[in-house]
Amino acid sequence: MQLGTMAWRNLMRNKRRTLITAFSVAFGVLLSVTFTASGDYAYTNMINTGAIMGLGHLSVEHPEYQDTPTMDKRLRDAEDIRQHLLQASGVTAARIRIMGQAMFASGAKSVGGTFIAIDPDQETPAYNIFLRTLVDGRCFTADEEHGVVVGAKMAEKLNLRLGKKLIFTLTDKNGDLISELSRVSGIFKTGDDSVDGALVLLPLELVRGALGYEPKAASLVAVFLDDHREASALQGVFAGIWAGRPDIAILRWQQSQPDLAGLIAVDRLFNYLLQFLVGLVIAAGITNTLLMSVMERRREFGIMMALGMMPGQVVRLVLLESCWLALLGLALGVVITTPWFLYMAGIGIDFSRQIGEDYSAGGVLIDPVMKFRLYRESAMWIGGAVFSLTLAAGIFPAFKAGKTPPVENLKQG
Amino acid sequence: MNNTPLVQLENVSRIYQQGKVQVNAVTEFSIHIQAGEFSVLCGPSGSGKTTILNLIGALDEPSLGTVRLEGRDLAELGRSALAKLRRDRIGFVFQSYNLNPVLTAFENAEFVLALQNIPIAERRQRVMAVLGEVGMGELAARRPDELSGGQQQRIAIARAIVSRPAIVLADEPTANVDSATADAILDLMVRLNREQGITFLFSTHDQRVMDRARRLIHLRDGRLVHDEVRG
Repeated sequence: MQLGTMAWRNLMRNKRRTLITAFSVAFGVLLSVTFTASGDYAYTNMINTGAIMGLGHLSVEHPEYQDTPTMDKRLRDAEDIRQHLLQASGVTAARIRIMGQAMFASGAKSVGGTFIAIDPDQETPAYNIFLRTLVDGRCFTADEEHGVVVGAKMAEKLNLRLGKKLIFTLTDKNGDLISELSRVSGIFKTGDDSVDGALVLLPLELVRGALGYEPKAASLVAVFLDDHREASALQGVFAGIWAGRPDIAILRWQQSQPDLAGLIAVDRLFNYLLQFLVGLVIAAGITNTLLMSVMERRREFGIMMALGMMPGQVVRLVLLESCWLALLGLALGVVITTPWFLYMAGIGIDFSRQIGEDYSAGGVLIDPVMKFRLYRESAMWIGGAVFSLTLAAGIFPAFKAGKTPPVENLKQG
Repeated sequence: MNNTPLVQLENVSRIYQQGKVQVNAVTEFSIHIQAGEFSVLCGPSGSGKTTILNLIGALDEPSLGTVRLEGRDLAELGRSALAKLRRDRIGFVFQSYNLNPVLTAFENAEFVLALQNIPIAERRQRVMAVLGEVGMGELAARRPDELSGGQQQRIAIARAIVSRPAIVLADEPTANVDSATADAILDLMVRLNREQGITFLFSTHDQRVMDRARRLIHLRDGRLVHDEVRG
């Protein structure tokens, strides 16, 4: 007779109680999956949206560009760097961009804003949220040297329509002011007024020429990854490749978008804290049930110890019971969570009525539809945490059973 | 030849604290039990029979005095060593059988051998042999709730002797069974004592047990009043 088999049979002696306790573990799994999977989905969405708003999951740039983004901070061989980056496993795209501040003026008035100079041959809606959210016109082509794509709010402010003239003024690499004339080829609307009112897409070649950049130069190369969680690893790989280039810095999205990273970190912390507190409440219930089960069997433990069972073996027996309970609870948890997870992963709950379509935080738009996505490590973490917590809930009852002298236990019943 | 008594109790007292009251369960009790004895601790309820069995069985510690089993002072052994001693050298038969309800008759009898890490094949052979001895071979697969009181007590006896202990301590083994079953169980124990030399020490006030005993140790209020050895 193995202790494991005996522990299982002990659990099955009171099926109803075991089932109720296992369901409380399963409920813990459901809650944990709900919290974690909604977080995984929302954070991934925010990170990916943040990436396609300009800087990618990784950005390769001049080491001082992050702190003082002046036009003299540039990568002279950005095109070559991009080609190198595209060879790396895990990199799905790399885009060359020049980013900076500019003054935009129409016949009506002028406003300050940000520009992103892009190569229209490289850009696709998949990696550029502004092209994805075009509401009028289209992106300029390589042949249209003077085309621009403006945000809807800016178009409204400057009274711009398709084909209208827009003059932008910026400071070149030498600190001199330069102006260029362009025409509106497209208007985008992300839904975030702070973005739609201040951002303009310009042709890369036009800006390169205006700034006096070298033919392959740019502010940065935005790198898009298959999985944003690989950012740290790939940052290390690329840092190794360009270890001898002091003019190159590789930043993770957390470094290039610290507001977003901070927001996610704080939210994740509260998420974990909430899960921990819920877990504690459930664990207290499990401890209570196991303790009750142990107290009911005190005489039985006394008999087993009288027959020569070591105190450690008694502890192990009760811990094995909580181990089985954890496994049973996890299995039940999978059963009750799966339909909920599949619904939430596929359809989700639309909160657009409550928070609107254009809710943003940390500088990125938030998807108003709450959905689930569960990374493998998150699922492992949930399984491990629920199992450990259930096992931990059995520690006190187990020691209570093993610590009581056999003669005391024999007096019971 | 080793003349050391199997069990030695020297001036043993056991005092319990019940709230603010001290209860003298056993007072200055001394006794020697030799291997092969078939002895009975007898006396009215509260005379200290079970306490003495618990002390000899290494389940309880004396407040004063010394308890020795096979010459070893039990006070010098730690909890694990005491558990090992109970497992290897002592068999217990309890009043209400106290079989484990989740184990079959076979598994209950096998329990101590499993604790001793005896190989499975040997365990099986020994358990089936001892179940045969107590007439329970055919009911080995049954759970306790599928057995009568007498059958359960036979399994309890099998569990107590399967590990070939130095002594079997039986606390009121006939208290919960009918007369015919009690006689059958006692005959079985007498036979095991005679044929296999197993030492039995009972606590009882059942006359049938006392009639079969070769030594009667009379107790009253935790004190030895008479030690009667029969021919």
